[in-house]
Amino acid sequence: MKLVSIILANDLRRRLRSPFAVVIMMLMPLVLTLIVGIVFGRSGSVELPKIRVLLVDRDSGFMSNLLRQGLQQDRFAEMIDLVIVDGEEGYSMMREGKASALVEVPENFTGDVLDRHPTVIRVVKNPAESFLPMIVEEVVETMVLTIDRGSRIFAEPIKSVRVLLEGDRWPTGGDIEDVLNTSRTRAILVRGYLSDSLVTLETETLAPEGERTGGINLFAFVLPGSLMLGLMFISEIVLRDIVREKQTGTLARLFTTPVEAGEIIAGKIISTFLITAIACILLLVIGRFGFKIMIKDYLALALHLVASVFMCTGVITFFYGFIRSERAADAILSVAIVVMGLFGGSMVPLEQMSGTLQAAGRFSPVYWAIDGFKKILVFDAGLADIRLNLVVLLVIAVMTTATGAFMLRGRMQRGG
Amino acid sequence: MIEVREIRKSFGEVDAVNGINFHVGEGEIYGFLGPNGAGKTTTISIIAGILLADSGTVSIAGMDIRKDGRKIRSLLGVIPQEIALYEELSGRENLHFWGSLYGLSGRELRSAADRVLERVGLSERANDPVREYSGGMKRRINLCIGLLHHPRIILLDEPTLGIDPQARINILDIIREEVSRGTTAIYTTHYLEEAENLCDRIAIIDNGRILAEGTLQELVRLVGEEDIVTVTGSFTAEQVNPLLGGVKVDHLESDSIRVLVPDSHSISGLLERFFAAGVNVGEVSIKEPSLESVFIKLTGRELRD
Repeated sequence: MKLVSIILANDLRRRLRSPFAVVIMMLMPLVLTLIVGIVFGRSGSVELPKIRVLLVDRDSGFMSNLLRQGLQQDRFAEMIDLVIVDGEEGYSMMREGKASALVEVPENFTGDVLDRHPTVIRVVKNPAESFLPMIVEEVVETMVLTIDRGSRIFAEPIKSVRVLLEGDRWPTGGDIEDVLNTSRTRAILVRGYLSDSLVTLETETLAPEGERTGGINLFAFVLPGSLMLGLMFISEIVLRDIVREKQTGTLARLFTTPVEAGEIIAGKIISTFLITAIACILLLVIGRFGFKIMIKDYLALALHLVASVFMCTGVITFFYGFIRSERAADAILSVAIVVMGLFGGSMVPLEQMSGTLQAAGRFSPVYWAIDGFKKILVFDAGLADIRLNLVVLLVIAVMTTATGAFMLRGRMQRGG
Repeated sequence: MIEVREIRKSFGEVDAVNGINFHVGEGEIYGFLGPNGAGKTTTISIIAGILLADSGTVSIAGMDIRKDGRKIRSLLGVIPQEIALYEELSGRENLHFWGSLYGLSGRELRSAADRVLERVGLSERANDPVREYSGGMKRRINLCIGLLHHPRIILLDEPTLGIDPQARINILDIIREEVSRGTTAIYTTHYLEEAENLCDRIAIIDNGRILAEGTLQELVRLVGEEDIVTVTGSFTAEQVNPLLGGVKVDHLESDSIRVLVPDSHSISGLLERFFAAGVNVGEVSIKEPSLESVFIKLTGRELRD
């Protein structure tokens, strides 16, 4: 064990003297998070997928029709896929995560608006998505404001139109002229009119466990994916020492000392784990204070960090079990990490992928790490919520580390 | 101290070492002389524990390298052919790391590092990163690592490769010093003069086999080499030809004759006949057989081939 600690200390000292590659890999997740966060969080200039919105219309009146048509007009139709559902079906679909948001128009909405009684439109948001439900919320809020202001200004003419339409005779030209005159007069009189809103908007986000106060931090949603990609690359850079030292001759020299192959491998794996863990902690600290990501359960985060970093180290050790040169590492590992990251949701959130890709993503070890981090950082999940993630990550870590170390040891003993 | 029996090592179709036997006594410097690819480094790598032999045995200080690898390695100091250092660390940090792997620590480690740094003249640059060192300085640190823990056996694989003559002399002096303290050494080289000057016994190795081994004198005798005597003066070939007797003539022309004699004493009879016949002899040079001529005789080619 003493010899392992000597090798470990030496590797850490060397990494400290030459930290450039690791620092670059640490910057990568930060830059990615920042870019994605800024792009999706502010400018909106990116082409987004169509937002599926469920409309539960319990009113089926003039005003709710106005709202529905508003959501289906040209500009919003390009962005929103509106599905009319009944209440039970709508909430059931939301629970299954089949839509970004649900808009519920209450019974007698039209009557309440025209009679100037307060009424509430509900927007229920999908907790698994961050920015798409926000867009729905903004759109509905704008339309509610329009209906509210319009109903105030044109309450009298609208009432007259309703009486005319519901009456038992055809309206005369005089009736229509009266309505138009009243409307015109109203429009002139209410210029600059401001008052408290009669129609208000109530927003609710479905949470898996309990209620979360405040909105979802977009950075918290993006960081886990880029973080895991960065950590995989950091593990790769550090463990690359095994083939690099073979080429520089220091590995062969180590074999001439009283150190055994197993001790050399143990030292390398532990130093990889520690350096990756330090990088992960630093990135999370930056995320906490730089991106204002809230962390509720530090114990869950710490355990998940250990399991995720152990998984990174294990998977990379496994690859180095059969990679013998830096050239092979360049060719194989970069691709392998990107593919694992892609399927695991590092680059595109898994929620935005098709069902097949989402299912395939579960076979990527990176998925379980990203999923766990998202649960903790985005949804305030605790230890119980990430149990499965921890188990899967640890099983992968133990299996890959053991297999990789065994292969490396055999190869080293054969002088390969 | 070191007993090597019938070791073989192949890399695919290539037999790098093909049944090598030798022994090295305590305090002896045993040299391996051979061209690149002869099997020197593979042999020394097997003894150092870097490679496993396909067959054969290596025993060091009475221990089998397969069974007591760790114990044996603690007795060794290995100076590899390639410079095996951590470039991002300083020379001193390199020494501390490698020394600590041999069990040195604390004050003992620090004073051992200071001692070897002083000996190779690198004390002032000891705290600079190795990447800033010249090739010769790296070679010296490379050597220091192998000597730091006062090993009982040092294995040196072409330690003077690619360095200037002054640094080479310095390194050879250090090795002599170590050996004078009773350290056993195996030294591989393809520099003839190093093998001649440094080694007590020499093995000539080529194509994975030892072709001959012994002291320099034994090797020369083994191949029956003769002294080369060149006589120059003012004479004709016809004038000296009847005076040669049984002496082997290698080359004869006017004013110069080169003959081969079993030893330098055999030349005296020839010169007496020359003087008696009034041959005008200007200069006589005697060249003893060298390791180079032995190597050419054994392998049919020059060492640099």
